[in-house]
Amino acid sequence: MTTEPTAVIHDIGYRHYDGVRLGRGRATLALGVQSLRGVFGLGRTARAKIMPLLLAAIMLMPTVVSIGVMALAKQFIMPYPNYAVFMQPVIAVFLAAQSPYLVAPDLRFRVLPLYLSRPLTVTDYVLAKLSALAVALFGLLAVPLTIQFVGELLVDLPGPPHTADYLGALGGAVLHAVLLSSVGIALASFTPRRGLGVAVVIAFYMFTAAVSGIFTGVLISSGRDDLAGWALLLNPFFLVDYAQSAMFGTAPVNTESAPPGIASCLILLAVIAVAVTGVLLRYRKAAS
Amino acid sequence: MNTVVADITYRAMLGRKRIWLLVLLPVALVALAALLRLVNGQDEQTAVLLMKSFAIGTMLPLLGLIAGTGVIAPEIEDGTIIHLLAKPISRPVIAVTKFVVAASLVAVLAAVSTYASAYLLVGSESGVATGFTLGALFGGVAYAAVFLLLGVLTRHAVAVGVIYALVWEGVVGGYVPGARKFSIQQWAQSLADQVSSSPFFSTEVTLGFAVPAMVIVTIGAVVWTGQRLRSLSLTGDD
Repeated sequence: MTTEPTAVIHDIGYRHYDGVRLGRGRATLALGVQSLRGVFGLGRTARAKIMPLLLAAIMLMPTVVSIGVMALAKQFIMPYPNYAVFMQPVIAVFLAAQSPYLVAPDLRFRVLPLYLSRPLTVTDYVLAKLSALAVALFGLLAVPLTIQFVGELLVDLPGPPHTADYLGALGGAVLHAVLLSSVGIALASFTPRRGLGVAVVIAFYMFTAAVSGIFTGVLISSGRDDLAGWALLLNPFFLVDYAQSAMFGTAPVNTESAPPGIASCLILLAVIAVAVTGVLLRYRKAAS
Repeated sequence: MNTVVADITYRAMLGRKRIWLLVLLPVALVALAALLRLVNGQDEQTAVLLMKSFAIGTMLPLLGLIAGTGVIAPEIEDGTIIHLLAKPISRPVIAVTKFVVAASLVAVLAAVSTYASAYLLVGSESGVATGFTLGALFGGVAYAAVFLLLGVLTRHAVAVGVIYALVWEGVVGGYVPGARKFSIQQWAQSLADQVSSSPFFSTEVTLGFAVPAMVIVTIGAVVWTGQRLRSLSLTGDD
């Protein structure tokens, strides 16, 4: 018997990566961009594109109608600051349909440790997901508003253009995007099932909208108008509407005695803070 | 109707997070009724408003959505439905069983909470409580059947169901009177109106249309679900 070695390690030419390592910031950005594309179904199957693109098309319809009326009848029918409140069911459906997509598959297939084995931290992951949804929602609101504004400038109605209203509405769109995305992600991340996530988010919207409507109706019919404004704040869209009018000076949709502007701004901030803290705590737990 | 399948489905429905959402909504309805009673006292108009916009308008479609899609959609999503379909049980029987589970859950939860909250607000005056309980009972059964069908037709059952409940029944029905004829909510309300004599409440859809429509939709949806299950494809998307 010979004493030659029986096992040898061959060098078969695997090469190391020796390019530039881009680090945490770029990883977060990449995750955010990929999530944002996914919200609109880009890079996913054709079936996943139907829902977001259909809802985005519905969001454009009032804009088309309003530009048509401006061009033909020379009338300005849809004030910019009311657009989000007017379209609230569509925005709520978009939020409910898309926010579980961002968080549910990663939880369900337990791939979070794979993300976290990279320079990405839990906070970065949450930040990327939240900003992807916020940018998507902002786009959903800002694109129709901008198209309508361009249309208004082109049609050149008598009187000055509604520039202040338009800018206020864009500011409101930022508020809507931040509030809705943090609440949507917070609710959707509690279940790894997409279907249940959709149901939870839409249940939240329908519940708050119905409760705020009932209490407002009852308070007005019993003559306590001063409290009716507070009941309206339960609906996230009216909450942002009041905060928008306090911050940017636009006219609120509801003319019932509004609660003081500072109150709606503080409530808005508090809700966002609670939702974001909830998401962070949830992911700290999921990651450990 | 297969008792083993029914048993397993009940356990799957009641044992998960789903049950919290299913119970939370009826509890919220009763809590709202109690709160309104404290704020405003006994008031028939408030009761009708709460029943119309919360019990029938919000809770019923959501319960139908969660229970109707919950009995079958997660199994399709996971692919475990294949084990059920491979058993020598006829597919229409599976569909009927799933429907019975969903419908019984929605009917019990919706009817009990509706009766309790209406009773809290008006007692048994002018049949508001019994009327809306009846409406919630049959409306819930119809919703369960329709959303069960959606659960086997599409992977995005919940999202499509939400669009139907919110956009069609809520927004389109609010502006276009014709759309109200094809809305389960309105059918449930016309059943309620038949029993209650409240002056604050009137419906547009006649009972002669609502009852046959409800029966046809419910039976049609369950039969279609059974047919659809006979040739279900399990190819996944995303």
